[in-house]
Amino acid sequence: MRRTIPQSVLLYVTVILTCALLLFPIYWMFVTAISPSAQLRAFPPQIFPDAPQWQIFQQILETRPMLLWLSNSALAATAAVLLSMSVSVFAAYSLSRFRVRGGQTLGLFILVSKMLPATLLVIPLFAIFREFRLIGSLWSIILAHSTLIVPFSTWMLKGYFDSIPRELEQAAMVDGCSQLGALFKVILPVATPGLAATALYGFVLSWSDFIYARTFLTVEQTKWTANMGIASLKGEFITDWNEIMAASLMAAIPIVIVYMVLERYLVGGLTAGAEK
Amino acid sequence: MAVQTDLQNRTERTLGSSSWIGRLRALDLSSPRHADKLGYILLAPAVLLIFVILVYPILLSVDLSLQDVDIPRIGETREPYTLDNYTKLFGSAEFWRASWVSLKLIVVVTSACFAIGLATALLVNQHFKGRTLARLFVALPWAVPEVIAVVTWWWMFDSSFGLINWLLVTLDLADKPIAWLSQPVPAFLVVSIVMIWKGYPFVSIMLLAGLQAIPEDHYQAAKVDGAGAWQRLFWITLPSLLPVFGVTMILVVLWVFRDFAVVFILTGGGPIGATQTLSMMTYEQAFGFFRMGFASAIGVVTLVICVLATRLMVSRMAKSMY
Repeated sequence: MRRTIPQSVLLYVTVILTCALLLFPIYWMFVTAISPSAQLRAFPPQIFPDAPQWQIFQQILETRPMLLWLSNSALAATAAVLLSMSVSVFAAYSLSRFRVRGGQTLGLFILVSKMLPATLLVIPLFAIFREFRLIGSLWSIILAHSTLIVPFSTWMLKGYFDSIPRELEQAAMVDGCSQLGALFKVILPVATPGLAATALYGFVLSWSDFIYARTFLTVEQTKWTANMGIASLKGEFITDWNEIMAASLMAAIPIVIVYMVLERYLVGGLTAGAEK
Repeated sequence: MAVQTDLQNRTERTLGSSSWIGRLRALDLSSPRHADKLGYILLAPAVLLIFVILVYPILLSVDLSLQDVDIPRIGETREPYTLDNYTKLFGSAEFWRASWVSLKLIVVVTSACFAIGLATALLVNQHFKGRTLARLFVALPWAVPEVIAVVTWWWMFDSSFGLINWLLVTLDLADKPIAWLSQPVPAFLVVSIVMIWKGYPFVSIMLLAGLQAIPEDHYQAAKVDGAGAWQRLFWITLPSLLPVFGVTMILVVLWVFRDFAVVFILTGGGPIGATQTLSMMTYEQAFGFFRMGFASAIGVVTLVICVLATRLMVSRMAKSMY
């Protein structure tokens, strides 16, 4: 299918305009971050500041506990992913390879639980965590985020395992491997990209959470996550938008990088269990 | 049991009788004769975790919704069962208003997400140099954490120094800056826009996957028959996308329905309840007014709605999955 030159030009112009329009908020976040505060209250707004304030990032790290919040987010996300993956790898393998009684019901329950409203779960979880004195501890959100990650990672991994031919592990078992040995020595190495994609996706889910962190960690400012910190920077009367935007950029960049790596697998992740 | 001991004995005999080897064999759950058990054992940790963090909390919230409790304590003597929370809920104007707001938000956000999602998917499905990059960019807002998307748009809609107001005034579309978040309709609009921006990439990604699954020869055949671009869109592309449309729509609807952070951070449900969704109302009752029994009742109602919507989707998929 060949295009004439005007058609090509039109196509490129459309693509560029669309991207520019849709991504403008991200650009504006960046420009606001590096603009001097005074300029943000002046008209007309400048599309790029004359004197970019690059030191804003350093300033944020020095004046706000941003680094602590970021590391809390990273710690919670890593722990939640490790916890969830270590149970869902086995569950997914079992659902993919064994005929387990009740397996189908469990699979459906997991699928439905992806759709549970967090506003419902947060109430009983609050009561439970209060009982175990986990309120204000990162463990609360690690467990709560597992409610998000386990259902989806089990489905996503089951999809990957389904796509690996059974002959592979059968061959290994003929060579004297046990079924469990075959899982570790044959299946998991083959599924590494899938495992990595699933883990990263779980990380994104945990990193992006707001409701659980807001509910369980409010009392303890040193345990806040990056998202909570950012939401709290919006002051009642005076708001330093450049600080908020700089903090937002710092919290968004890890996820954007993950997205760049993940993009190829994204469809698999988003549709895990949602489509065949 | 008898068979097992028998087998064990035989193994011991063949292995030259050191009994611990036989016992070890019996414990080796990955040996073929334990294959079925292994399936269950592999599932066990997940089942246990799911029970602790999902099943038990759900049962607990149903339990709470049937009691007159403010801040529940587990293990304390429970209040008597009552349906008060539900009768109060269905009798309250606030509940019906929140349902109406949720419904409006679902309709507005879902349709806009589909319009933008379909347009962008069709665009980056074209063959051109750099389309890999274009695909990456088009869905980028997906990767921006919700809280960050919210504060960014909040700043753009700032009533005094925001870019949007400046644009509207400069272009003469408004005679004075609009106080977006303190008026019902503008506040609803801002909430919708943030959600649309966060939600369209998902639709775009799903529909693009659907588009790529349409065989090229369908288009070739249509072209041979003399179908133009619009005819191909309406008679081939859109009908082929229908199954993906259905699943995606349910997922987007559920996302809008369940979402909480956007409304909570931007408006907290106000002004005068104009952006108070059911999720927001649940949270406010639970953690704003600490009426957790009542909040659980709202939560259970939203849960039932979610499960019904999911069933719509699942019943179609269940067959293809097993």
